[in-house]
Amino acid sequence: MDYKYINQLLERYWAAETTLEEEKILRTFFSQAEIPAELKPYQSLFAYEGSAKSNEKLGADFDERMLAMVGEATTARKMTLRQRLMPLFRAAAIVAVILTLGNAIQKPFSDDDNVGNIVGIENIGEGVSVAIHIDSATIDTMRQSNLQMKGEELGVRRQETMD
Amino acid sequence: MKQIDFRNDILPLKDVLYRLALRITLDSAEAEDIVQETMLKLWNRRDRWDEIDSIEAFAMTICRNLALDHQKRTDSQHASLDEVETLLSTPNTQSPTPFDHTVAHDRIEIVRQIIDTLPEKQRTCVQLRDIEEKPYKEIAAILDITEEQVKVNIFRARQTIRQRFAEMENFRVTST
Repeated sequence: MDYKYINQLLERYWAAETTLEEEKILRTFFSQAEIPAELKPYQSLFAYEGSAKSNEKLGADFDERMLAMVGEATTARKMTLRQRLMPLFRAAAIVAVILTLGNAIQKPFSDDDNVGNIVGIENIGEGVSVAIHIDSATIDTMRQSNLQMKGEELGVRRQETMD
Repeated sequence: MKQIDFRNDILPLKDVLYRLALRITLDSAEAEDIVQETMLKLWNRRDRWDEIDSIEAFAMTICRNLALDHQKRTDSQHASLDEVETLLSTPNTQSPTPFDHTVAHDRIEIVRQIIDTLPEKQRTCVQLRDIEEKPYKEIAAILDITEEQVKVNIFRARQTIRQRFAEMENFRVTST
């Protein structure tokens, strides 16, 4: 057994230089049954420290008395329930705001003149080929890259005339 | 907002607070009263709990201050060495085998008494460090002193304990 280390720790202990971990080591060491004679005297000291926590305490009747005194123990719980709901309300409010903003952002893309929803755009897309077919004569140059945009415009005009 | 209620956050502190109050007042009935007062005080300030980092440290500060106030009134600063010596000279400590159960128990009692003879600051530091295993930083906050001062108090306390313990050992040996 390496008592040299323990002795070193002990010296540091008296000098108030030990860390909590080192003190724990000392306490564990001294809680053993087998301890060399020269270290035995210190056993009581560390044994006391270890036992104090379990020996000195208040009973359960103390709890009862305190809770009775405080009285608001039940109201505290009611309050915490309401307070627990508050964050939920806040979260709901935030979600509502986000949804509203989301809707508001979509508005520029949807006109009354235009069938502005996604289905409408698809219709316009379909209308491209129709528009091009009918108006191809009036359009001299039509490039592939412009196809979509032109087609949309034509489709829109087409819808307008149809209305 | 921090949700704290009495049952879950304050009541569990009762033993730590009791031991601290007991260490300072050396009277279990008084210690219990102080714990009660501390908890009521804590409870009355519950609207300000959000501002506190550690409820435990805060509670211990209140507890210690209340205990010290009580001390000023009753004038009993600490245990006397006479009490320790009386303990040594009572019959059941005269056992021939040094480390059987009754004697071991007495020795533990002796250690407690020795600690109780220390000046309050040293006593409290030992209590918080050696028994409650708090870091120097927290002890400094509770006592409102620097970490260096905590270390000095612990140093002096342990030196005294070591010395008195050795004296008691000699006393025991010479009196048998």
